[in-house]
Amino acid sequence: MIGSKSKRKQAKLSPNQSKTRAWLFTWLDVLAIGAWGILMLRYWLTGKLNLLIHPDYFWLVISGGIGLIIIAASKAWELLRRRRNSGTATQHVTLFPPGISSSLLLVTAIIGMTFTPRVFASQTALDRGVTDSLGATRAQPQAFRSARNPEERSLLDWVRTLNVYPEPDAYTGQSAKVQGFVIHPPELPPEYILISRFVITCCAADAYPVGLPVKLSSSRQAYPPDTWLEIEGTMMTDTLAGKRQLTIQATSLTQIAEPENPYEY
Amino acid sequence: MSQFNNAFTLFLSLLVEAMPFLLLGVLLSSVLLLFIDEQQLITKLPKNPLLGALVGSMIGFLFPVCECGNVPVARRLLMQGVPTPVAIGFLLAAPTVNPIVIWATWTAFRDQPEIVVLRILLSLVIATIVGWVFSVQKDLKPLLQPAIAKSWEYNFVPKQELKKATPTSPLLQSGTFLLNQPGQMVRMDATVLQASLAATAPNKPLSDRLRLLVDNTIQELRELGAVLVFGSAIAAFIQVAVPREVILSLGYGPVTSIIAMMILAAVVSICSTVDSFFALSFSATFTSGSLLAFLIFGPMIDLKAIGLMLSIFKPKAIIYLFALAAQLTFLFTLFINLQII
Repeated sequence: MIGSKSKRKQAKLSPNQSKTRAWLFTWLDVLAIGAWGILMLRYWLTGKLNLLIHPDYFWLVISGGIGLIIIAASKAWELLRRRRNSGTATQHVTLFPPGISSSLLLVTAIIGMTFTPRVFASQTALDRGVTDSLGATRAQPQAFRSARNPEERSLLDWVRTLNVYPEPDAYTGQSAKVQGFVIHPPELPPEYILISRFVITCCAADAYPVGLPVKLSSSRQAYPPDTWLEIEGTMMTDTLAGKRQLTIQATSLTQIAEPENPYEY
Repeated sequence: MSQFNNAFTLFLSLLVEAMPFLLLGVLLSSVLLLFIDEQQLITKLPKNPLLGALVGSMIGFLFPVCECGNVPVARRLLMQGVPTPVAIGFLLAAPTVNPIVIWATWTAFRDQPEIVVLRILLSLVIATIVGWVFSVQKDLKPLLQPAIAKSWEYNFVPKQELKKATPTSPLLQSGTFLLNQPGQMVRMDATVLQASLAATAPNKPLSDRLRLLVDNTIQELRELGAVLVFGSAIAAFIQVAVPREVILSLGYGPVTSIIAMMILAAVVSICSTVDSFFALSFSATFTSGSLLAFLIFGPMIDLKAIGLMLSIFKPKAIIYLFALAAQLTFLFTLFINLQII
């Protein structure tokens, strides 16, 4: 019974047609999976992976990419060999519906290859809400390095330190030297900017901004949003938007290139 | 434009992070298919629905996969005709109750071991209850996607029929058999029959098995990968379109924080292997109960997983699962916030 049904079905397509279709769709699978493997390795090799995920998970992406390539390659090899022997192709693959899934994967991979992931910018930071508090949450060891020279602290170190001991006055007069990008929060007076960094825990999906206000001697128009700056100055307490906040009184602002790794961890 | 760029970066980051886990899950699922005698495993599973659900919830310990990886395994188990409570228990608990996730949660919440313990315990309890509830529905077919339903039913039919019908070239014949059902997902049917083939011919040469393994891996990667692309796109879109502030500002109270974290869990769709680090960033501002809600509910149901689950269940079943899991998570974590338990 089963046999007769299958014969009826197969009669609809000529053997050559169906074989070619199956062959094409299998190659489409190979291409889609291979392309994903290449995409993942490519992000790693071009150093773009750190825009997407935390370095701790690089090995996963790398081995995943290699795994995908191995699977695609072994299927490709089998297809090539099969073609030489011709005619041994299993016919159950001949009636694949149009390769929509593989096309979707392939197209995504190709777009991924042509598209450069972008570092989140000031607008995203404003949307997500910049904060100088983390919660004891990221209670990483760094948070307790209070003995560290203040000017060696990164922006995230400052925020972590502030989390452990939130009284801004405790830091008054300490010197600061931090790097980050500029945000112009609407609620701050015009001679203030926010110097900010994105922190990621796992991947760009959980990136969240941290930042500290910086008091300039002139209007912030000289430092448009998203400019990367290295700011040196001393710490002070300021009341901004009705809240006492640790603020950097800038003494020097140097424009720097966007760091290769724009996130902090 | 910048919004689009952000969305695309998010989209890619979710995909790049999830793809290795998906690969791992699909590979494990394929190995399970070809190298483990599932019929044996299935016959050993307890018949009692409650016990079955509990055992199913703990099968995750054998398969350390997150929620993008457990769907192919659950699908495979259902296709092999495992009892419903076992499959549901596995589907809901496996992403949490497995060594890798426990280790990751422990790394993140070393200071609050109760979070680690409660996460595992409550996930087990909720998965078992939901599995048990689903055991009332003896005939799963109305809840399953047609192709899965067919093989589920097929595997419930005594094996002799298959043997009778299997001629000299079982792969070829069986592959075409289910193609006759109009409008069905043909490829999955082919897989089913490969599965039956593998189960009925355990002594096939290793090279053949490896070839089937690759074929099956490709098939599932293609299908689940495409769904993952879809789910990640939705998750990325919502993350960009709805400011996270809105979700977070929903509140800090014992009730609102739980609701906010559950919504966040569903929206962010983060992999259970890494979600504890994500939750860690809220541990100062959010109640313990809400963090637990995030850690328990997220791996069970999120936008990405819904996409993947649609390859098994009809939307109706997913709504049941979603509602049950959400209510139980909410109740239990509320008890914790109110210090009732």
